[in-house]
Amino acid sequence: MNTIKNKLNVCKAVAFVTYKEWSAYRTHSMVSIFVGPVYFIVQYYIWTAVYGSAQTLYGMELSQMIRYFGASALIGYLTMDFADWNLSMLVRTGKFLTFALRPVNHRFFALSQKIGHRMLGFIVEFIPCFFIFTLLFRVDMTPASLPWTLISVALAFLMNFFINYCLGMASFWFVQSNGIRAVFSLISGVFSGSLIPLVFFPEWLQVLQFFLPFQYTAYIPVMVFLGKYSLGSVELSIPVVVTIQAAAVLVVFLVSELLYRASVRRFTAVGA
Amino acid sequence: MKKYMIIYRECAKISLSRMTAYRLDFVLSMIITLAGNVMFPLITVLIYNSGASFPGWSFYEVLLIQSVFTLSGGLSSMMLGGVLWTTMDHIREGSFEIVLLKPVNPLFFLIASNFEPESFGLLVGGGVLFGIAVSQTGIVSFAAFLQFLMLFAAGFAVMAGISLIMAATSFKWVGNSRIPEIFDSIKTFGKYPVTIFPKAVKSAATFLIPVSMIGFYPASALLGRLIPGTLLAMIPCVLFLLFGIWLYHYMIKLYEGVGG
Repeated sequence: MNTIKNKLNVCKAVAFVTYKEWSAYRTHSMVSIFVGPVYFIVQYYIWTAVYGSAQTLYGMELSQMIRYFGASALIGYLTMDFADWNLSMLVRTGKFLTFALRPVNHRFFALSQKIGHRMLGFIVEFIPCFFIFTLLFRVDMTPASLPWTLISVALAFLMNFFINYCLGMASFWFVQSNGIRAVFSLISGVFSGSLIPLVFFPEWLQVLQFFLPFQYTAYIPVMVFLGKYSLGSVELSIPVVVTIQAAAVLVVFLVSELLYRASVRRFTAVGA
Repeated sequence: MKKYMIIYRECAKISLSRMTAYRLDFVLSMIITLAGNVMFPLITVLIYNSGASFPGWSFYEVLLIQSVFTLSGGLSSMMLGGVLWTTMDHIREGSFEIVLLKPVNPLFFLIASNFEPESFGLLVGGGVLFGIAVSQTGIVSFAAFLQFLMLFAAGFAVMAGISLIMAATSFKWVGNSRIPEIFDSIKTFGKYPVTIFPKAVKSAATFLIPVSMIGFYPASALLGRLIPGTLLAMIPCVLFLLFGIWLYHYMIKLYEGVGG
């Protein structure tokens, strides 16, 4: 009980400090208030033109497609992180040594930082864009089921973090890990579903997505928001798909734990 | 003029030597830059494979637009891509005075010293896509090809103007690494047939921030689909570039560094 209380206190303190630190650069985050709606407008006109002669495409109507991209943008503001870049920088500069000496697991510290950073993102990115989408663009951003959407977004938050943290740990093994991260970021961008719904991909690629971590970061929470999930000709109920998402997060967490232990054993720095 | 050409050539040679010192990193960067920028043709492939389309545009016609956009992006990235980041770094570190002390125009010096060969991958990729698209659509006539070249140059002027405006912005919005995102989002309007947008957006994308000139209008020229008077749309592009150059020099005048 004391351990949990202690961890919560550490998490709160780190999150709050990170929030304060990043609010000094709030205009950095506020760029999303312009960029997000502009990208959304482009998607709106693209899909309005594409749906010109079609009622549905892969079971999705135009209104659902518009909501898909709106939800994808908003959920992205809640789940994005750069734990990979942060960790890579710490290892390359040797500053990871200070974290190795502290009585706090760095992964937990980084997760607490992400919570603080995304709290700021919620205020300066999510809320303004939500109002722009609903009041200005008149897009219905009401989730099919708020509790399931919140759970799925929370799981996507964790999934994104653990994946990026695993990527960051490549810096313990490779001198130059920027290329690995860039390639992964590219593949993730395509197969997470943030560019186009995954149902547009060939069926064999859709089936492959069940075994890759990408759809759990964006596609699944967006489909939970819409209230309907299908991929690779498989239709699943929302509780089932969220359970699968939770299982995937657990698997990636265990992988990150194994990698973390191996990485810290391998880590050497000046004086350590 | 000769002096500037010699300086540019020498700076380009140094950039090439620097890149090839780490050959594998250079090749990987080229491939990653290319792969990142051909993602939107992938979206077009998926849309057309679903049986849907952009009204009035075949798949290869849209691919032509996007390949021309990629070519223009590759060229501007190679020649001007580093100006923003170098300007930002100099301002943040207080070393911009060193650039100002050089006996050449500071903007020219930054452009010349930031030649980025790894963007060559974009040119190659764009060229391949262009070849595939043109092999299916054909080129209407030699006159159409000449129109394409003129409009492509105008599109490059727009890309150059965007790069310079971004770099000028960094004088005041110091250290904000998200400046390119703002302009990348606006450039997205130029990646698709401008006919899908309403009239107000079309006009803004043609005359105000002429991103449609980057891909759409040059490709339309090759396809013989230019409406009369479109060549006049080159004027806003030139004005846009001149504005970018003026803004950068204006920001230099306002610049106050340590000891300057």
